[in-house]
Amino acid sequence: MNLRADHVAGAAFVIFGVAIIALSGDLPVGQLSMPGSGFLPMIVAVLTIVFGAALILRAGESAPFSQVGWSDGKHATMVTVITAVAIALYTYLGFIITMVLMMVTLLVVIERRNPLRAGAYGIVVVLFTYVCFAYVLKTPLPVSPFSY
Amino acid sequence: MESTLISLLHGFGVAFQPDNLWYAFLGCLVGTLVGVLPGIGPLSGISILLPVTFGLNATQAVIMLAGIYYGSQYGGSTTSILMRIPGEASSVMTCIDGNAMAKKGRAGAALCISAVGSWVAGTFGVIMLTMVAPPLATIALKFGPPEYTALLILGLIFLAYMSSTSLVRTLLMACIGLLLGMIGIDNMTGHFRYSFDLAELGDGIGIVPVAVGLFGLGEILSTPSHKVVGEVISPKFRELLPNRQEWREAVMPIARGSVLGFIIGIIPGSAHIISSFLSYALEKRVSKHPEQFGKGAVAGVAGPESANNAASTGAFVPMLSLGIPTGPITAVLIGALMIHGVNAGPQLVTEHPDVFWGFVASMYVGNLMLLALNLPLVSVFVTVLRIPYAYLYPLIIMFCIVGVYEVSHSIVDVYIMLIMGVLGYGLRKFNFDPAPLVLGLVIAPLLEQSLRQSLIMSNGNYFIFFSRPISLGLLIVCVILLGLSALTFVLKRKDWREKLAEAEAGEVQP
Repeated sequence: MNLRADHVAGAAFVIFGVAIIALSGDLPVGQLSMPGSGFLPMIVAVLTIVFGAALILRAGESAPFSQVGWSDGKHATMVTVITAVAIALYTYLGFIITMVLMMVTLLVVIERRNPLRAGAYGIVVVLFTYVCFAYVLKTPLPVSPFSY
Repeated sequence: MESTLISLLHGFGVAFQPDNLWYAFLGCLVGTLVGVLPGIGPLSGISILLPVTFGLNATQAVIMLAGIYYGSQYGGSTTSILMRIPGEASSVMTCIDGNAMAKKGRAGAALCISAVGSWVAGTFGVIMLTMVAPPLATIALKFGPPEYTALLILGLIFLAYMSSTSLVRTLLMACIGLLLGMIGIDNMTGHFRYSFDLAELGDGIGIVPVAVGLFGLGEILSTPSHKVVGEVISPKFRELLPNRQEWREAVMPIARGSVLGFIIGIIPGSAHIISSFLSYALEKRVSKHPEQFGKGAVAGVAGPESANNAASTGAFVPMLSLGIPTGPITAVLIGALMIHGVNAGPQLVTEHPDVFWGFVASMYVGNLMLLALNLPLVSVFVTVLRIPYAYLYPLIIMFCIVGVYEVSHSIVDVYIMLIMGVLGYGLRKFNFDPAPLVLGLVIAPLLEQSLRQSLIMSNGNYFIFFSRPISLGLLIVCVILLGLSALTFVLKRKDWREKLAEAEAGEVQP
């Protein structure tokens, strides 16, 4: 049997549905006349499993799993990692430092742009955004330990 | 009718306040830019800019956000015509004949017809909204929990039926959205559900991190910059006016597109996308020269552009009068109103007339602003299109992070956005449309509350849904739609939804 894209997707949804039921163990389902907090999650989890199984059954109509294109996978992984690091630093280093670092890293590491040009672009754009938020929209942004 | 006109006049009084005019203008300008730029749709645009509205009152916030929505419908046509890249999904059909007209040296005429058609359709949609929404809200006041339960289920099934992906895929996405919507404290019993001891999850998962992640970050992850290339055709200002023949060819498609778009807009689903497809198919069918379609037919631009604008206005009817989102964009707008302490629904007209009528009146003004913006400033938008995508997406990521963090100053929300971005990327790989997930997330609390209240009312008897005429009628429509989907599946017949999916993917022309 050829592994199809919908075999994988359907199996993922079935596992997700089973996981929800397992996690709902301590939630009271209640009775029909007084449904508890676990009532609707249980119904929707069962529906997820049913629809996931239906997807597996009809998987023959989908493309082979090997043909799912992952050519953008490297780009996606790098952007995800850089964004995750920026999120982790955001409340510690503040808006200005974190965002300049993130933009320069994205432009230099992923896009192979000139570091000087990337730095200038990052600083100008981030400072402009900071001024807009802090002074025009009066929305405070996280500050660094250096108070900016 | 008289009271409607008096209320509308009151709305104009609100809309013409300088602050409200400014926010309508800002929304229209940003919306046009959102529509022009490939990679940012109206949903991600609205989601990213939602926190910017926190300092505003509810009227100003909804005026600005709605301006972004219908402004993006105008702007989407610019990239379609000048680059053959749809700025957003509803402009796919405009690419075909709009770009063909541009290649024949009629780019200015195509942009003008598109802008005028959008304005006519948008204004028609608002007039219809003015007439339809208040009486519908009066009827909706008679709705109890069973009717709301049936209506929400119908909304989900309608969305699944109208979706260009399969019924099972759409319902799966809706289920995941419903499950995400159940995270947090249960309002009726106080139980913590799936919060994993994270206090931040007590209030549940917000719509902003989910929408921004799925549609904003997810799009960036699946779009490497080397894939975004395109030649921009620059129209000259003096070429903007169509000739008499082109005007004549545009009149009827604009009229048909306006009516068709508004009707489809009221129905749940990605109405603005479906309406442009159906309008294109309709124009091709009624045309005396169908062979010109694909080679620069004026009707191929005028019809779809009018239809998608009328549909985006039509989508506000169930949102404002019933409090029911017909799609993810209206879902985010309902969320925005809730943040400002205003519940969309039947009581909106009576309890917050300033918000309702100010919003409706601002749409008349906004449509005029868009007409004034889109034609003279076309060269500015062409310049924006020349900014390399490699410089643009780091900026979008920055706005995603700031936008989500500013909602509740929670870094957990920003991590949720990142997770949703990765999920959105994965869903695209496996041909899932994430829009029903957002809809499921928004309606989950409403659905759960109305379902449980209905069962408590009836002492656990499911017959309550079938004994009340309105809920019975709505459930019968659900069964009919499911039956139609099953019939298509059993007969293995290719219906209009599959043709739409193919057209969206650019495989065939309808």
